[in-house]
Amino acid sequence: MVDAARHPRIDVRTFTEVEKVEGFVGNFKVTLREKAKYVIADRCNGCGDCARVCPIEVPNYFDMNLAPRKAAYVPMSQSVPLVYNIDLDACIHCYKCVDACGALEAIDFSQEDKLVEEDIGAMIVATGFSHFDPSVMEEYGYSRYPNVITSMEMERLNNSAGPTAGNLIRPSDNKNPQKLAFINCVGSRDKRYNPSCSNFCCMYSIKNAILLKQMNPNVDITIYYIDIRTPSKGYEEFYDRAREMGIHFSQGRPSLITEDPETHNLFVHSEDVTLGKVMEKEYDMVMLNQAAVPQPDQNHMSSVLNVAQSPGGWFMEYHPKLRPIDSPTDGVFFAGACQGPKDIPSSVAQGSAASSRASRILQSDHWEIEPTVAVVFPERCSATTRGRACGICAKACPYGAINIFSPEIPAEVVTAKCHGCGACVAECPEDAITQLHFTDAQILAQMRAVLADKPEEKILAFRCHWCSYGGADLAGTSHFEYTANERGLRVMCSARMDTDFIYEAYRLGAGAVLYSGCHPQDCHYITGQLIGAKRASRLEKIFERMKMTDGRFRVEWISAAEGDKYARVLNEMQAVLDDIPMDDLKAEIEQLKPEMSKRLKKFPGVPGVQEAMDYSDILVDAITKQKEAA
Amino acid sequence: MNHEPIGSLFVDEVKAIPGGEFVEMCYSCGTCVSKCMIQQKGEPEFNPRRLLRMVMMEMKDESFDSKTTWLCSACDLCYPACPQKIHISGVIHAVKSLAVKNDKKTIQNTAVVDQQTCVACGLCVEACPYEAIKIIETKVPYRGIINVASVDSGLCMACGTCSAVCRSTSIGVPEEFTDESVVEGLWTWLQSQGVED
Repeated sequence: MVDAARHPRIDVRTFTEVEKVEGFVGNFKVTLREKAKYVIADRCNGCGDCARVCPIEVPNYFDMNLAPRKAAYVPMSQSVPLVYNIDLDACIHCYKCVDACGALEAIDFSQEDKLVEEDIGAMIVATGFSHFDPSVMEEYGYSRYPNVITSMEMERLNNSAGPTAGNLIRPSDNKNPQKLAFINCVGSRDKRYNPSCSNFCCMYSIKNAILLKQMNPNVDITIYYIDIRTPSKGYEEFYDRAREMGIHFSQGRPSLITEDPETHNLFVHSEDVTLGKVMEKEYDMVMLNQAAVPQPDQNHMSSVLNVAQSPGGWFMEYHPKLRPIDSPTDGVFFAGACQGPKDIPSSVAQGSAASSRASRILQSDHWEIEPTVAVVFPERCSATTRGRACGICAKACPYGAINIFSPEIPAEVVTAKCHGCGACVAECPEDAITQLHFTDAQILAQMRAVLADKPEEKILAFRCHWCSYGGADLAGTSHFEYTANERGLRVMCSARMDTDFIYEAYRLGAGAVLYSGCHPQDCHYITGQLIGAKRASRLEKIFERMKMTDGRFRVEWISAAEGDKYARVLNEMQAVLDDIPMDDLKAEIEQLKPEMSKRLKKFPGVPGVQEAMDYSDILVDAITKQKEAA
Repeated sequence: MNHEPIGSLFVDEVKAIPGGEFVEMCYSCGTCVSKCMIQQKGEPEFNPRRLLRMVMMEMKDESFDSKTTWLCSACDLCYPACPQKIHISGVIHAVKSLAVKNDKKTIQNTAVVDQQTCVACGLCVEACPYEAIKIIETKVPYRGIINVASVDSGLCMACGTCSAVCRSTSIGVPEEFTDESVVEGLWTWLQSQGVED
């Protein structure tokens, strides 16, 4: 920590909050609130004279409130930078500290919070985690029984720089405990509080037990657990070592702790699952290994940094397997437990990875993005045509890349933020946005080309680039046989599959249409699949009302590993088409054409679409002529 | 991959009954057992965790014969304590109703109605916490076809509440909680506390 503070190119700002983040990768403008310490940092030499004379004592949050601190304080003696701080909530303004500081004149009660704006290239978020408060679990009696403590309190009591200088004592009578129980999964793996596993508690309960056993081999320790999870290298050996040292492990989650009011000894009630017997054992002290939970202000930070949160409240990474360090916003990276509970080795690994990811940005003078970005036609936007921007595109964008500054100004795409999913393009009711390389005209031309000849026999498959297209690829390379009538069309995301394309496909006489994309949790564009899925279910209802034969429009989520599923789905769709007599199918297509045309009135007005239609008409004519000649 | 169902599983039968849906969420932490008063005060073989496990392991006959199936009083002390939010007494009830369907009889003495004296007032029907009593038209010797209370032995938990509310002493659990035995027990206790005639 000291090395980091001394490094000429590392600027440590303590007691500072991020207030506002604007801009995009390489060009962030970050507003910082430097809170008033009431001590001038450059003048303070960390002598501690102010703390010595301060008459006010309050509990020290750093010691889990087990020890006092003064109103003029540093949280711990190794604080970096060693600059004292005055807690104005506790201060009684006696100004003894000012006198004690003397000639240094470092104390300045007139200081105020300062707002500082900085130009930032890339950001690494390492805001860490917080602890579950076990006092809500009445059965364990934390905060009612003095000798029931949490793991963090244990860490401080066991620490040589802590309030007891490393001497573990019972809070009730300051004696050294001889019989200890550790209870794992307090508030974690518990649907009432946090359903997820906190990842590192098994290991630190074993670590604490070994530490205590090393200090005093006579101490009797029992660890109550549901499952012991030792997944990483050397962890199982560590668990073995604990058992060799004589630490007891009892499978079974305690249901109740009771206390002897005189001795303050504790009785732990649990079923020993291996024996199937209910036990009641007496202990001097009980430690609760409480769950790791997101920081209390995680929601606020996520809106400041514009990064999404996973269901548990942790920051959400770009992709759980392929990009676990990046945030969905380019130029923002995660390190450590802010992204999910992590132990020290994985936090260090993620921190190193995040800094090297960030340095990629800092070392290059330009930043490559996907070429498939969205572009707005300002003259078609409802802000221009009707004077009121509808804002649907901005709501659809998973990256917040579309700005609508006022109702009269057309939507504006921040190109550096756009990842090119095409959700805005398909959602726009005015067709006022297009996606480069996947314009309506280009996709339409492809559709008309594949449906030029005997369209009623064809199955048009819209596949998303990342999953379904890969699934189709795998079906091909693995030689899974599927119908030869399939015609695949690639778009970047299922969110790009515009309703217009589906209507147009049926208007052109397609036999069946497949609407496929990633599984909901696998989408490469955060919420792209959800937008696509919502649209698909809307389409399903519309086609049901049109009395289209069941199975002619199908929605499937197929991952890149599911080649067999892709082949199976296509074969099932072919079977549906085979079941309908050809004349009936043709009649149905003709019958539905006016319905489709009705919904496509605006479509030819989209820039480039009419030209594409004309051009493809020529092409289709040429193909038919060629066929006739043959 | 073949995703065809492999015939009807016992666990699926249990899950199909309301209350039994989440039986497979149990990860055997044992919290319910150490909460259970029946286990601790009455029957040491009583173990809801093991019953849930038996259901998951397809041990149909063993779970029907298990004391847990028949002795749970549905006090629901375990329900708020369960970290997986499983309604354990609901699962046990589901197993029990399957057992009754399979012609199993409860291992307890259940309440019996004296049809000669029952007046079908319905007090016991209202009082029964397990909804085991119904008023049914029955042919009774010497009394003809009349309404009398009737106990569903699959639902009765032999708590004795019906016998306490009955004004005509026509219902009760034989040999347990009869008025005489309760008075006798109470009297013995009073004498032990130093009360004399």
